[in-house]
Parts: sequence; C-alpha cells; structure tokens
Amino acid sequence: MTSGQIEAPTKGDAEEAALSCQELKKSFLGVAAVTGATFDVPKGMITALIGPNGAGKTTVVNILSGMMKSDSGSMQIGTVDVTNWESHKIARMGLMRTFQLSRELGGLTVLENLLVAPKHQAGESLFNIFLRPGLTKREELENTQRAIEILRTYGLFDLRDNRASELSGGQKKLLEIARAVMAQPKVLLLDEPMAGVNPALIERIGGYILDLKNQGVTVLMVEHNLNVVEKICDHVIVLAEGRTLATGRLSELRANPEVVQAYLGEVINASTTR
Amino acid sequence: MSAFWYYVFTLVFVMFDYFILAMGLNIQYGETGILNFAYIGFVALGAYVTGASSMPSSAGTGQQYIMGWSVPFPFNLVLGGAAASLLAVFVAVVALRRLRTDYLAVVLISFSLVFYDITNNYVPLFNGADGLYNVPEPLAGLFKLTTNSFVPVFAIVTGLIALIMWWAMSRITNSPLGRTFRAIRDDDGVAAALGKGVFRYQLTSMLIGAFYAGVGGGLLVQFGGSFNTTSWLPAETFVVFAVIIVGGVGNNIGLLVGSLLVETLLIHLPAFLPDIPGHPGLIQYIDTMVVGVLLWVMLWFRPQGVVPERTRKTPLSLLQGLKSDRVVNSEVPAMSMSDGAGVIEEGGVRD
Repeated sequence: MTSGQIEAPTKGDAEEAALSCQELKKSFLGVAAVTGATFDVPKGMITALIGPNGAGKTTVVNILSGMMKSDSGSMQIGTVDVTNWESHKIARMGLMRTFQLSRELGGLTVLENLLVAPKHQAGESLFNIFLRPGLTKREELENTQRAIEILRTYGLFDLRDNRASELSGGQKKLLEIARAVMAQPKVLLLDEPMAGVNPALIERIGGYILDLKNQGVTVLMVEHNLNVVEKICDHVIVLAEGRTLATGRLSELRANPEVVQAYLGEVINASTTR
Repeated sequence: MSAFWYYVFTLVFVMFDYFILAMGLNIQYGETGILNFAYIGFVALGAYVTGASSMPSSAGTGQQYIMGWSVPFPFNLVLGGAAASLLAVFVAVVALRRLRTDYLAVVLISFSLVFYDITNNYVPLFNGADGLYNVPEPLAGLFKLTTNSFVPVFAIVTGLIALIMWWAMSRITNSPLGRTFRAIRDDDGVAAALGKGVFRYQLTSMLIGAFYAGVGGGLLVQFGGSFNTTSWLPAETFVVFAVIIVGGVGNNIGLLVGSLLVETLLIHLPAFLPDIPGHPGLIQYIDTMVVGVLLWVMLWFRPQGVVPERTRKTPLSLLQGLKSDRVVNSEVPAMSMSDGAGVIEEGGVRD
C-alpha cells in the first residue's frame, strides 16, 4: 500500500488469512453499530483493531467470536465459513477471546479457570466418569500439569488456589489470557488487554503476546495504546463509524488524512495536551 | 418399638430423603445455576411413577392410575427417577434452549402449576386429587416387616441409598463435568467462548437433578404408602431451596446439614409436638414462618450457608519440586517499548 493512500477494504491476497470477514453489519434497535466491516487477519501475525470509541470494535469482536449474530455479511476461520455460528462451535474451531471487562469464572479457583478451557475433556462425560475413571484421571493430571506451567509463565502460580473473584484487575486480565492460552487457540481475540493496567504490566502483557506470536498463534487485539500497537503489532485495521476505514502498518496509517481525522489526530492531540 | 423410636426413625428417613432431594436441586441450581422453581414437579412425578408402577393393575382397587405393573422395589424407584429425567428433557428442550435466569424461573413456576393442575384434575392419570394410596410397602415380604418395624428398616435403607447417591454425586461434582457446570453457573457466555455447548451441559445437569428428585419422591411414596396433590404444593419447591441455601449451596455435606436443620428439625419435628391448647395446628404455621425468617437471616448474614462451598485445592502431588513463581517472573519476555527500566514487576502483579 502506498503511504497516505487508503487501502480499499478488500480480501487480502499475498498473506494467508487466519480470520476474515466481509461486509459485517449489525444494528441495535435501528442504531447501526457495524455498517460494513471487511478485513483479513493475517496468519501468525499480531493485528490491531483500532478506532474511536463507538466505532464498533467490540461489536465486531463479539460477532467474530459468535457471541452476537450479524445482520448480514460473512466470516471465515481459515477457509471454513463460520458466519453466525454459535460461540462454542467457533471456539472449537480454535478461536478464543478475552473480554474488555474481565470475565473471570469467579467461583472457581485460578487453576480451575484454566482447567475448564481444554476442549473435549474425557471427564466431561458421565459415561467416562463412572466407567473409565482411569482415562479421566490421566487426562486431568496432564491438563493440571500444563495449567501449572502456564500459571508459572503468567506469574499466577502463587494464586492458583485463590478464587478468581479475589484477584485484582491486572491479575484478572492475565488470567483471561492464560485461560485462552490453555485452550490452545489458533486465533486469539484480545479485547483491550491493556485497558486499566499499570505500565509495568503493560510491558509484561505485551511480552506475552509477542511470545504467543512466536508460538504461531494469530492475534487480533483491540487496543487504544498506540505505543503498544507500534511496538508489537504487524498490521493495523482502522474501524470508524462501523466500517473498515483503512488497513496497513501504523506508520503508513499515520500519514493517512482520513485515519488521522477519524482517530489518530484526536489521540495525538490528547496526548500532547496532557 | 416405642413411639419415641418410631418418631426418631421417621425423622432419620426425612433427613436422608431430603438430602437426596437437596443434592438433585443443588446440581441444577448450586452447580449449574439453573433456577429450577419447578423442582417439586419432578419429585411428584417420581413419586407417582414409583407408586403406580409398584401397584397391581388398577382394576378393582377403587383407584384409577396408569401402569400398575407390580414392579418390585428398588426397580420401581429407578423407574420413578427415569420418568422425572424424561420430563426434564422435555422441560429443558422447551424452556432452557431459549430462556435464561429469571425468565426461565417464571416459565418453570408456571410449568409446575400446569403439571399440578393436570394431575389434580385428570383422574385416569394418578387418581386425581385423591392420589395414590395403599401403595405396597417395599421389602415387607422379604424381611417379614410389620407396620412398626417397617419404619426403622426403611429409614436405614433410605440412608444406604442416600449414601450411594452421595458417592455418585461427589464423583460428578469433583469431575471435569462438575467444573464445567460451575463455569456455566458463574458465566455461561465465558463457558461458551471456551467451546462448551452450554445447553448440552444444562440438559445433563437437569437430567441428573431430576433423577435425584424422582428417586427422592419415590422414597416418599414408599415410606408413606400414599401420595396426592396435597403432598406437593408447588410452594414446596422453596422448602428444598431453603434446605440448600441454609446448608450451603454447592457443598454436598452442607446439604445434609441443611436437610437436618430445615426439613427434619424445623418442619417435621414440631409436627410431633403436642398442640398448643386452644390453637390446633398453630405450631405448623409458626413453623413455616420460622423457615421463612431463617431464609432471610441466612441470605442477609451468611449467604454461603452453614457449610460453604469449598475451594478445590491443587493436588499436592503435582506441586512437589515447584517453587513460587517469583523466580519465573523474571524470565518473562518483556516487550521492549520503554527504556527497559522497571519492566519486570517483583513477584505478584496486584495493581
């Protein structure tokens, strides 16, 4: 894409897309929240979804993760069309998400929050619980060992037996990412993972996300902190008024007058007046 | 056997039977978060089917009822549980698929009222308002029991059944299935986002809970020998709720305690007390009020119940040789975006 030009929001060509959507639309009681979101999330990269408040970012994430049905449009994970699939079926395709406001499973311990995540556990069937207890126990042991490793990586090991509701805001953010990682995602949607988090923890979460990329996970993150976007994101999608405004690298988008007017300008001005 | 022991064993039966009922409601409400206000309907169906299947053909009995297969104990009890489970599948498909929380609760209440009216008025089903009576005493022939000796024997049999059902329930609640139930209770959206088919698990939970309801109801009809619509006014559901809320939602031992405190000591024991002179039946009315007040007090001051839900600790065998994660934190790959100073937090991350 030439710097300064608006790239038409069409399907990508060169890079393989892990997740893509075309002309997603969604309105609530006549109020249009998403009016035409079209983009590709390139495989194995970290993509940022940015845009002003009310641009429809979270609605798009909700549609992509199956928590909301779109009014029209389509979406694919890899080559499989998953338009308006239920969220648990989308999750089973390897797409995991976190939430803007942390949604920990409060009555469960930190360790249990992770242990819920693996798909198709033998011990989730009544038949196996009573008739194949050995299989259930073995799988549970393996899962617990893996969960402990993840908790140690994410600095939550010491809190493993605490109820998740007792964690602080930052710890809950980490727990959500750790839980999604436990499910071995192919695509990870992070809805503002750095929101309300102290600077040191922002550094750490950024590190974790880079680490996931190195392990081959495709990441799409809604993020307002442009410093973070600049440092870790390979690709940026700008949403404004519910539609894809532009895509590309952040440095390129900074030179795009439409993007500057819709989003970047405000942010830059805001940060300089602080 | 003296009257005293007769009363004591009746209370023992009540305690174990309500323990079973409480376990059934607890897996639905306490573990999976389904506010099943129709619970007593499943208890009643279990009771009717257990009774009607154990009775001989209705011809010449002066009663009208379906089945009449003379099924021996405990197979009739299994039939009662299975019938309640079957009803749960129907209710789940109709109500659970689309409705959540308070909407579901309202639909379930109305469902239990409809079911109540049908059994009360459609006589060929379970003899209408008169209900079933002269239900054969189980095991009476086998142990040559008299009306008196039946009570302690059946109380002990109920205790044994409760023990087996408690074992089975503990297996379920401590398994990954139980954990997934609790995840759905805490946040069904998150559970779905983790790939759990929420409806399937809710259906499973309804099935298990209804089986316990059916068996508990079946034991009631076997103990008392009769069952009619005065035995299961839809408001009885809230007594079972009181048992699990007072005892401790999500804790199987708490349910036994709740069953002892609420159903046995508060509701059944005073029924054996002599009436206050000049005020017949007053004690039982006061009784119901005391349960109501107890429910308020518990919800205000100790919502977790007498025996709260326990947190499930990591098995110690898995922790051997593992140090605290304070060391591991320093190995975390930090995003290099600032000058690097103060990148790593010491220890925990509480902010």
